[in-house]
Amino acid sequence: MATIAESPTRVTNVTAGRVTRRYSAQQSPLRRYGPALLATVFTVALLGLSVFTGVADITDTAGGGSDFLWITRIPRTVALVLSGASMAMAGLVMQLLTQNRFVEPTTVGTTEWAGLGLLLVYVFFPMSGLLTKMGAAIVFGFVGTMIFFAFLQKVKLKSSLIVPIVGMMFGAVVSAISTFIAIRFNLLQTLGAWFAGRFTGIEVGRYEPLWIVLIVCALVVVLADRFTCAGLGKDVATNVGLNYERVVLLGVGLVSITTGVVTVVVGMLPFLGLIVPNLVSMVRGDNLRTNIPWVFLTGIWVVTICDLIGRTIIAPFEVPVSLVLGAVGSVVFVVMLLRTRRTNVG
Amino acid sequence: MTLTKRHSTFAMAGVAALALVLSGCSSAGGSQSAEEQQSEQVDQAVEDAASAECAYPVTVTDMAGNEVTIESADSVAVTDNRTFAVLNEWGVQPTAAPRTLMSPQNSWAEDETILDTGSHAEPNFDQVIAADPTVIINGYRYRDHAEKMQEAAPDAALVEMDNADLSPDEYAIAQVTLLGEVFCKQDEAAALIDQFHTAVEDAKAAYDPAMTVMGLVTNANEIRYSNPADGRGASIFFNLLDLTPALDAEGSTNHQGDDISIEAIAESNPDFFLVLDRDAAVTSDGETTPALELINGSTALAGVPAVQNQAIYVMPADYYLTEDIYAYIDVLGGLQQAFTEHK
Repeated sequence: MATIAESPTRVTNVTAGRVTRRYSAQQSPLRRYGPALLATVFTVALLGLSVFTGVADITDTAGGGSDFLWITRIPRTVALVLSGASMAMAGLVMQLLTQNRFVEPTTVGTTEWAGLGLLLVYVFFPMSGLLTKMGAAIVFGFVGTMIFFAFLQKVKLKSSLIVPIVGMMFGAVVSAISTFIAIRFNLLQTLGAWFAGRFTGIEVGRYEPLWIVLIVCALVVVLADRFTCAGLGKDVATNVGLNYERVVLLGVGLVSITTGVVTVVVGMLPFLGLIVPNLVSMVRGDNLRTNIPWVFLTGIWVVTICDLIGRTIIAPFEVPVSLVLGAVGSVVFVVMLLRTRRTNVG
Repeated sequence: MTLTKRHSTFAMAGVAALALVLSGCSSAGGSQSAEEQQSEQVDQAVEDAASAECAYPVTVTDMAGNEVTIESADSVAVTDNRTFAVLNEWGVQPTAAPRTLMSPQNSWAEDETILDTGSHAEPNFDQVIAADPTVIINGYRYRDHAEKMQEAAPDAALVEMDNADLSPDEYAIAQVTLLGEVFCKQDEAAALIDQFHTAVEDAKAAYDPAMTVMGLVTNANEIRYSNPADGRGASIFFNLLDLTPALDAEGSTNHQGDDISIEAIAESNPDFFLVLDRDAAVTSDGETTPALELINGSTALAGVPAVQNQAIYVMPADYYLTEDIYAYIDVLGGLQQAFTEHK
């Protein structure tokens, strides 16, 4: 169903976003607001659950357990919201820019480049602060992703599956270089520890840089139409008066900032940018402007659920969220691949 | 400005005076050379007697329980990093060893005459072939490479250094005893073991069982839990000193410790932190310990007694690379001091 709806939505979307909305306004209020209401309730319930899950008893105001509400619980939940929403968004933007459903920061090498930047800072300036590490991660992520885009433009790839495979190979080469450097400088385990995405140590004073991605998310919402246009290809985008190169540059920049910040603060969140936008477009089609809130919400749901699983199954210990995401994500990835073969989506 | 200048003048004078005294001493020593020579001769005689007592070939039972006959110790390949410091102290210089795995404190780390067999992740067996060892002391990080080591030097006696059945302290003693037998250093081994026992007794005496202790491993900006039974770093001291664990949960035995929420650490309210800082081994600046920054910077841990009293002992920066009996003695000494301070 979604497949058939896909192409007309895409074409009309450029100019007719408003028309679609007026049309839906004629529907009954329940049909119009029902899903949004449900989603909001679900999100609030999940985040509430996240706030109340943990070792300390936060209802205990006398024994000091309640202090942890503001020290760890709220920061952790905020970190889940920000990183989940932003990494899902990063996946969405990359999928539009490459016109490929299997592309996201971890399948294109952005994360690996960010990791290389982080590692080099670790080797040469071991005592530098989080901001330096983040800056290096962002710059390396940007450069690496641009190299991949340049490669894509040089080599016109027809098959949608080849692009992520090339991206993964590209990422593997970068990560091999990182591993080599890490072995030389005895940092292999440090590298592994940095990369495993986890919210274990999140507390007041450690998660604040994540607020940067809120600004990035806001920018993507504002620029949603441009990315949608760019998603139609260079020719269409140029025809409607868009500076295609500039939009790509902007998109990659925003994705790199998001990836860099999240990699340094939380670690790698594999497959998130892949699963979420695809799930959303399977249900709702491909209108970026109306989909983007859903991408944000679904990103939050997936990360929060994975983190809740991670922190409860072997309590008082925790399983890194990247491990849970990797397990869930690879299954979804395979299902999507099989589905693609059957219906020729993408 | 003037003050510092005056200080430096005083210091200069002090150094000059010290130098005078020292040179006086050495010239005085020169006149007593006859006596010294005599005692040297006695030492030499003792050494001769010792080596005559255990002339090669020597047959020993290695840590894996195999009987190994060592024909000679002319060329020694050593891969177990827990033996580097002991052998260095005894003057048993290897011909091949993973210098990459050595503590920067070990003089062999920069010694180009020792062929570097590389890290366990990337071993270079060609160097073993080149060294043509008569004895191979193999184990720990290299334990899975035993076969390859033997292949590289088929005639060498392979002494396996791994035994998972022994507790860490039993192991440390058995290992030093074995090394003493292999290299004819029984007396040195016995002295070292005595030193170890004394350190254990002293630390134990300083410890009050009412004080709860938690082992931590810090790495890459994360604080992890090291379980008291078999966690990396801290567990041996829990065993040796009967420390009271703040949180007695079974965790993994791996080198990274267990992921644990910072709340769980805070809730168990430990009086003392025993920390293995994995990053300290790689940061060039030995002065700052990232572990302390990390622990003291945490808001969630601010109310924990260990942080409030600064009852935090961070193991030596190279502990992760040594983990030998000297490192144990070092940490035991540090713990004794810390326990006395925070009693």
